Amino acid sequence: MTVGPLLLLAAAGLAAGAAAGPRHARCWPALTVAGTAAAFGAALLVLVGAAEWEWRSGFPVGGEPLHLRLDGLSALFLALLSAVGGAGAVYGGEYWSDRHYPKSAPRGRAWWCLLVLSMGWVLVSSNGLHFLLGWELFTVSAYFLITLDRARREVRAAGWLYLAASHAGTVCLFAFFASLAARTGSWELGPMREQAGLAPLFWLALLGFGVKAGVFPLHVWLPSAHANAPSHVSAILSGVAIKMGIYGIVRFSGWLPVPPAAGWVVLGLGATGALLGIAFAFAQNDFKRLLAYCSVENVGVILIGVGGALLAAAHGDAPWGRLALAGALLHVWNHGAFKSLLFFGAGSVLHATGTRQMSRLGGLWRVMPWTAGLFALGAVAVAGLPPLNGFVSEWLVYLGLFDAVTGRGPAAGAAMLAAIILGMAGALALASFVKAGAMIFLGAPRTQAAARAHESGWRMRAPMLGLAAMCVLLGLAPVFFWPAVARAVGVWHPAWVPEPAPTPLFTLGAVHLVLAVGLIATAAWLWRKTQANGLRRGLTWDCAYAAPTPHMQYSSGSFAGVVVPWFAWILQPAVSLRRPRGAFPERALRLEYVPETVLERVLAPAGGIVLRVSTAVRRLQHGRLQSYILYLLTGLAVLGAIVALEGTP
Amino acid sequence: MTVILDFISRLAWWLLLAPLLPGVINKVKAWVAGRRGPPVLQLYYDLARLWRKGVVLSTLASPGFVAGPAVAWVAVLGAALLIPLGPMGNGGFRGDVLLMLYLLALARFSTTWAAMETGSAFEGMGAAREVSYAVLAEAALVAAMLSLSVQTGSVSLAAMLEPTAGAGAALLAAGLFTVLLAENCRVPFDDPNTHLELTMIHEAMILDHSGPPLAAILHGAAVKLLLFAVLLTEAVLPMGDLSPFAKMGALLAGVLAVTVGTGLVESFLARFAFRRVPLLLTTAVLLCLFALLVAWKGGAA
Repeated sequence: MTVGPLLLLAAAGLAAGAAAGPRHARCWPALTVAGTAAAFGAALLVLVGAAEWEWRSGFPVGGEPLHLRLDGLSALFLALLSAVGGAGAVYGGEYWSDRHYPKSAPRGRAWWCLLVLSMGWVLVSSNGLHFLLGWELFTVSAYFLITLDRARREVRAAGWLYLAASHAGTVCLFAFFASLAARTGSWELGPMREQAGLAPLFWLALLGFGVKAGVFPLHVWLPSAHANAPSHVSAILSGVAIKMGIYGIVRFSGWLPVPPAAGWVVLGLGATGALLGIAFAFAQNDFKRLLAYCSVENVGVILIGVGGALLAAAHGDAPWGRLALAGALLHVWNHGAFKSLLFFGAGSVLHATGTRQMSRLGGLWRVMPWTAGLFALGAVAVAGLPPLNGFVSEWLVYLGLFDAVTGRGPAAGAAMLAAIILGMAGALALASFVKAGAMIFLGAPRTQAAARAHESGWRMRAPMLGLAAMCVLLGLAPVFFWPAVARAVGVWHPAWVPEPAPTPLFTLGAVHLVLAVGLIATAAWLWRKTQANGLRRGLTWDCAYAAPTPHMQYSSGSFAGVVVPWFAWILQPAVSLRRPRGAFPERALRLEYVPETVLERVLAPAGGIVLRVSTAVRRLQHGRLQSYILYLLTGLAVLGAIVALEGTP
Repeated sequence: MTVILDFISRLAWWLLLAPLLPGVINKVKAWVAGRRGPPVLQLYYDLARLWRKGVVLSTLASPGFVAGPAVAWVAVLGAALLIPLGPMGNGGFRGDVLLMLYLLALARFSTTWAAMETGSAFEGMGAAREVSYAVLAEAALVAAMLSLSVQTGSVSLAAMLEPTAGAGAALLAAGLFTVLLAENCRVPFDDPNTHLELTMIHEAMILDHSGPPLAAILHGAAVKLLLFAVLLTEAVLPMGDLSPFAKMGALLAGVLAVTVGTGLVESFLARFAFRRVPLLLTTAVLLCLFALLVAWKGGAA
């Protein structure tokens, strides 16, 4: 089968899913999975095959002829979209079931298919107008998915913020595509690197796609939308939807010429976002917000790689740029896999306990062993630790940066700083996920809700197992995935033809394999030795304190207590304290809350000023006809005076 | 054949030599204080004894409580095996230096994860401090490795550790030594001998471990100490210019010097207050950054 029929099959499957989904909960996952599997097949054909797929038709849509194209770069994203889209459909069928949500579940199934379909459309369309149409449909369907549970106030607020931010981005994209069309004379998209006049348009694209990608100061919509959306929606938002922003940046920095400063700016944004995003994540108490901020960090890591590639391309096509870009593109995939896994795990916890606050959880490994184990695996992957996939892509980015430094090119200084920041962000990611895993799954249950939790069913566990297997596979055998990534790199920059996998990557995979075997064997050996020596269970020793209670455990806030003050200038933690008073104090309380600083300390005050100015101006409009006539007369008189004073004699 | 022999001898170096270092440090401390102190081989006796002992597990602990020390031990050993040892093990591959740093991070992840298993506040405290200070230590280490890369134009440990660290060697040595003290929880960052759990890092994390898992943790900690000592020695000394025997001798002498130095620091310094720890670590970061700058400027000339 070739690419075209497979894509048609995918579109048909998803359209059928959207049409039949609301009524037929049983056949909807099958339809969606069939559609995404077909899309995955098409993407795979392009990635391993020789040629890219292109299809033109005279049939006009919105006044423009259809022009579809699937090349190495878009196929890489399409493969990710179909993997997460299919897994999320299976997961969502149980997680957001008709039994629990009779009103919103049918709606959710239709919007899910539409979301996947519209993102796929964005990836294959090669016409600016069609791209925008798909982009808008994708934005709107994501909005309806975020607000599935719209009876809750904070969900509506998150949805509204998402819609407003997305449209601010879309305005930039309208401007971008319209000026592109105006300057080239056509809405057709494709490689046009030689037209140097188009370079300034890159800034519009960066702004528009940056909002969707959650690039650091533009990420304001991301935490609340990810936290309040149903978890399978959070998974696709974080795993795929924000990657569409990355796709836009990578796509159009490859097709269009870029201004000389582009690489510096993208690298700077990436490094800032990586460090500050993960600092925000570490300070969170809501585990879904923690995961959301971690996505900001990972987008930062990806942008470090993309910025490195832009710099290398600008300075004589240095070979280190290929490594950095390959690392970034592989990280797109890796982050999609492990972050979806983590959001699925978070959804299972939320499903079982009904709370997102880590300070109300604990000890869940006993009742949810599958979720706990898979979440732990995802945590190792997201912290970028060997032998899993997160390390492979970060290693490639690092290698690119180190090569830039040893090459002593013009970008060496920036690469040094980026490498050091990447190291700090990695250490903070490790800290964040030790905290998340420990607060949710380890220790003793802190509340009744956590004690009464239950493991989720197989339809929620199976997609998690699949994604976890992907994380392991990508970590242990990275060379198998290299050709796909190398193709995408070759598409981005025509001079960077696909290369065979670098030997160190092969060695790294082998070392990972040995390491994984060694880890499992040693753990089993130590466990057996422990059993053989005699195992007794006892109370946690805790320096011989006789009556520990779950509330004496270290909390999420105290775990972050060392680092939060270092970043207090940006985190701005708000603390409210009720001290114990009197001879018989009743309750003492200490609450710490880390606001979304950019939103609440920058954008909200700015919005407040705009509103106040508008309110003041509005006094002019009061409905009294006499005054309106007075305005008119005054205006006429002023105009007359101007004409009389300046008029020609 | 030679490859296998080389591997086995390096494995033996790390496994057998590592427990000697804490013994030497304790002997130096005892000597300075005018005591006789425990035998140099004390840790070997302790490990042998712990390996035969039974285990008390907290009722809250999951299997991860035992798997954690195993993972940490393998990770530290894996990181150590990436480092060339004088004349031995000059293979390596491009980018193995990053694998080494991240294997140490994997060890940190599993140690802190295991510490959080018991729900004890003390262990939570230790784990929180461990992961937090590691943020600065990691920055210092990446800067140090960058300076070695700049010096040699290579991203492979075998080549990076061959020549001396050049003009910035003193800066690099000071920075790496500070990181060694922090990462291995020695005075002035942590006091391995204190009896107050509130003020500990590493020892607080392993309060609930016993028997073979504790042996794995203690041995892993010793290997990590030796790893940093070897790294520091080879970064500073010009290993490439020496004959194989001289290399081995220089390496042994360097490790001994670092160990004795650690013992002397512990004898003459008190543990810092926790709020001063980030300051000292920032100094280490700055030292490594200056080493990087010196390497950068030195190579350009």
